[in-house]
Amino acid sequence: MIDTFQNLSIDLTSLPEVTQSEFNQIERKYLRVSLISRSILFFLMLVAAILIVSLSDEIEKGLFEFGVSSGPILLLWSFSIFYAIKAFPKKKYSLREKDIIYSKGLLWQTRTAIPFNRIQHAEVKQGPIERIFKLHSLKVYTAGGESSDLVIPGLSEENAGKIKEFIMGKTALDGVDQH
Amino acid sequence: MESISTKFSQPSRQSRVAIAIILIKFVRFTIRTFWPIALSFFIGRKAGNSFEDIIGYVALGIAAINLIGSVLTYFRFYFHIEDGAFIIDKGVLRRTKTNIPFERIQTINLQQNIVHQIFGVVSLEIDTAGAKKSELTIDALNKEDAEAIRQFILEERDQLVEDTPSAETEEKQVVEEEIILQLGISDLIKIGVSQNHLRSMAILFAFVFSTLNELTDNITDMVREELSDYQEALSNGWVVFAGSVVIVGIISFFYSLINTVLKNYDLKLAARKGGLRIVRGLLNKEEISINKSKVQNISWSDNPLRRLFHMYTIQIEQASSAQADQLKAKIKIPGSYTEQVLRVLSIVFPKEFIRDEEKHRVSILLKYRIFIFSGLLPALMAGGIGYFTNGLVALWALLWIGFVWLSVTIYYKKRSFELNDEILKNNRGTFGNHYEVLQLYKVQAVSIKQSWYQRRKDLASVVFHTAAGSLKIPFIPLEQAEALENFVLYKIESDRRKWM
Repeated sequence: MIDTFQNLSIDLTSLPEVTQSEFNQIERKYLRVSLISRSILFFLMLVAAILIVSLSDEIEKGLFEFGVSSGPILLLWSFSIFYAIKAFPKKKYSLREKDIIYSKGLLWQTRTAIPFNRIQHAEVKQGPIERIFKLHSLKVYTAGGESSDLVIPGLSEENAGKIKEFIMGKTALDGVDQH
Repeated sequence: MESISTKFSQPSRQSRVAIAIILIKFVRFTIRTFWPIALSFFIGRKAGNSFEDIIGYVALGIAAINLIGSVLTYFRFYFHIEDGAFIIDKGVLRRTKTNIPFERIQTINLQQNIVHQIFGVVSLEIDTAGAKKSELTIDALNKEDAEAIRQFILEERDQLVEDTPSAETEEKQVVEEEIILQLGISDLIKIGVSQNHLRSMAILFAFVFSTLNELTDNITDMVREELSDYQEALSNGWVVFAGSVVIVGIISFFYSLINTVLKNYDLKLAARKGGLRIVRGLLNKEEISINKSKVQNISWSDNPLRRLFHMYTIQIEQASSAQADQLKAKIKIPGSYTEQVLRVLSIVFPKEFIRDEEKHRVSILLKYRIFIFSGLLPALMAGGIGYFTNGLVALWALLWIGFVWLSVTIYYKKRSFELNDEILKNNRGTFGNHYEVLQLYKVQAVSIKQSWYQRRKDLASVVFHTAAGSLKIPFIPLEQAEALENFVLYKIESDRRKWM
């Protein structure tokens, strides 16, 4: 199958394979961050649904009415939690000699690889919920715009800093080579 | 050349015409922002209450501020050349001094709108590789000065940047400009006639509706009110409908024709050292230089009408740092024949790799997926619902199935990609043809995507992100996708050429 591209000057089987590289899991604690941030919206929706039923003059305040208003929200909420838990182990990153790779997704899987010599800039970020769990995200910018920028969430402070330093060191080296 | 650097070694102002041009810019901006207010002022004038008078004074005030502002802007704008850098010192309330080293300048473009043309001046745009504000504009300069400055800066920069040995041989190859494409009036008419008129129709409709939206809060009420007088005419609904379609069709036909002629009047595409140069335009004359290292991908396409003339529209996409410049970074050159497309490709990309390669197909399952999700299911649903409400008439919905099957068959037949050591080419199109070419080493990131369906069938889609949009190959065997991923990453990582 692999000999479909026969016109190339290099033997494709001799190239390092992305799938063979060593992938690291992100911090376990990040699951809690993603569960909480997903739950905030659902919680607010649930409160709103209950308030509407209890404050409205036209709706009777039976168990059935509360069930109808909050049931679907609870159902979606539990789906979302289930999905987050299932999808969590799919979030993996890998650092190779010359590029960084991040893969994610349960139903729709995406794996993006960015070579270090195409990275414009990298930064370590922290959202409010991440702060509680002392986690950080690493954002990698390329010239390709939003669609190809990479965010690796759920890194410990030490790890995030180390990866960032590693990347920036590599891009600086390449920059020297380029000019 | 020395004279230019000495002439502009001291801070100097722009040509005086700049005042007029800045003023026009200000006025256009003001009108664009405040025109609904101005319009309501004129419409509601008969009411004559004091509120509208106030608006009138405000408008006058804004006009005065515009005038004063443009004069001040002119007097507080200096530029000069110093130590291999272009320096601009400007700003009335907030002064900024910008220092652009020559080696950071990507391109310098000259532009002339109608006012520029009357006074024989040009505006000079400097595009830099900076992260955010990537552009600086000098509104008006003498034409000779502007051209001299551009030549001086670009030559200085090339000496600074391109000290690679290959630059020298290139220089010898293309010393003088060689014209690749020149459009006469008959070419322009051909291009204008074969425009995508449906699109200009949509633009027209969008424009009319957004204008109405700004004028009144309630379009439907207004339309109903206006139309109530024409009740009888409306009973012949079909006549009215057909009539208005014909009228809008004619208007949009002329709209796109005139637009094409104005924009591309006297278009000249020429090969110059290190890239391409385009001059074009009647009312707004523009001159664009394209640096080949900055070009990220080139595509060319036709439509059924264009195919009669064998003409393609070339689109050259350049790397652009600021998101706002995205539109500007795409340069469209209509009216090129196959031969000229190949010329452009072989100038921008290494010539020896511009050749036909084996066409790799995508999986037939893509065809079935598209057919099911945009043909079969919608038609069955619409037909089913329609059958219960309207009876047998709804069966017309089944025609959609046939239409989609036909288009998908054509689409799938055309869908393929070609690959060699330097270049990836994507072939696609349904009613027209669309070809995209990118240079592998200029890719920024590679993504492999798999939906649950694709995973079951062992298929994947590959997306190549470049600094000017991305290119996608859908539904190929996973193994092939991964081979592509590995190969392109290897190409990027092992290449030391300048990619932006």
